[in-house]
Amino acid sequence: MVEASVIVLGIMALFALSSTIATYLAITERSLVKAVLYSAVQSTLYALIYYLLMAPDIVLVYVPVSVGLYPAIILMLIKKTEKEEEG
Amino acid sequence: MRRLLGLLVIVLFITLFALVIASGGLGYEVPPLRVRELARQFLIYAYNPFNTTFTAKSPEAVTSIVWDFRGLDTLFETLVFYLAIIGALSLYRGVESERRTEVISLGLSPIVKTVTKVTTGIIIAVAASIALHGHLTPGGGFQGGATAAVAPLLILIVFSKYFLENLGLRKNVLLALRSIGLLGIGMTAFSALIVGLMANSPAYVFQNQPKPDAPVGLPAYIGDSLISGTLWFFNFFEMFAVAAGFTVIFLLLGIPEGEILKQLKEEAEEH
Repeated sequence: MVEASVIVLGIMALFALSSTIATYLAITERSLVKAVLYSAVQSTLYALIYYLLMAPDIVLVYVPVSVGLYPAIILMLIKKTEKEEEG
Repeated sequence: MRRLLGLLVIVLFITLFALVIASGGLGYEVPPLRVRELARQFLIYAYNPFNTTFTAKSPEAVTSIVWDFRGLDTLFETLVFYLAIIGALSLYRGVESERRTEVISLGLSPIVKTVTKVTTGIIIAVAASIALHGHLTPGGGFQGGATAAVAPLLILIVFSKYFLENLGLRKNVLLALRSIGLLGIGMTAFSALIVGLMANSPAYVFQNQPKPDAPVGLPAYIGDSLISGTLWFFNFFEMFAVAAGFTVIFLLLGIPEGEILKQLKEEAEEH
């Protein structure tokens, strides 16, 4: 039988790897709206990692800022400029 | 195709790097298996009823570190946030947003509006519980304020900016609210010193509970409720400062671009 702490660490590693993939996709994405969505996915995974690292204080500030406020501000700014990144 | 290749290289690099570290490549075990000495000290002194001259009287270790043991750090963090808001405001100086009284036709569909009416109340309630219980459970002033700022953001997007302004949340009102919050944080930092001056006894700035050489301090309990001296007041005022600060930025970003350009052109023609 596998220990519970090993399973938690494994899930954390999986989240961390997925967040790196989301970050890479956000950087290379041409469409700025899609890039914001990838960035929000990365933030959600970070929030889950913070929760598993037993840092609930950080989770409580990370969820509203990274999933609510930050994408909203960036989307408002994108609306004022262009939707696509130029070559 | 090139994107996929880059992704593959990154994933492979991270996996191999993690393998090296996990198998002891740094020469020691990561993460450490026992609680470190500094963390143990903080856990002991956060709430210690047997040693009343060296405790923050808060069962939440993070809040006691953030607003008591390392209070000055947090004060300057708040100042950084204050300066960021001032910077954004100075970019929008002189831009006045027009008032509109006819706002019913603006915004998204009635279904979205009804759902938002319900969730806004829930968000405010959760934010208040996070901030006002910050000295007992995980959370605190910044967390509560950031959560509370989501509610005006939802109203701004779903109902329109003019609806939010008609509710009374105008730029100057929010700036006043934020200034009251910052003033409250400053007053709380000096509260023990003021009490000490009146009682003619030594006291410190940012003092919470009595110290061996400064016997004054703020009460840890009001009635039977634990408020942890200054911690509750810090969390309360920080919530207002953060929530109002974020909402000011949303209001400024919500001004339509055409309106700003028109005002800037008029200003340029005047000169």
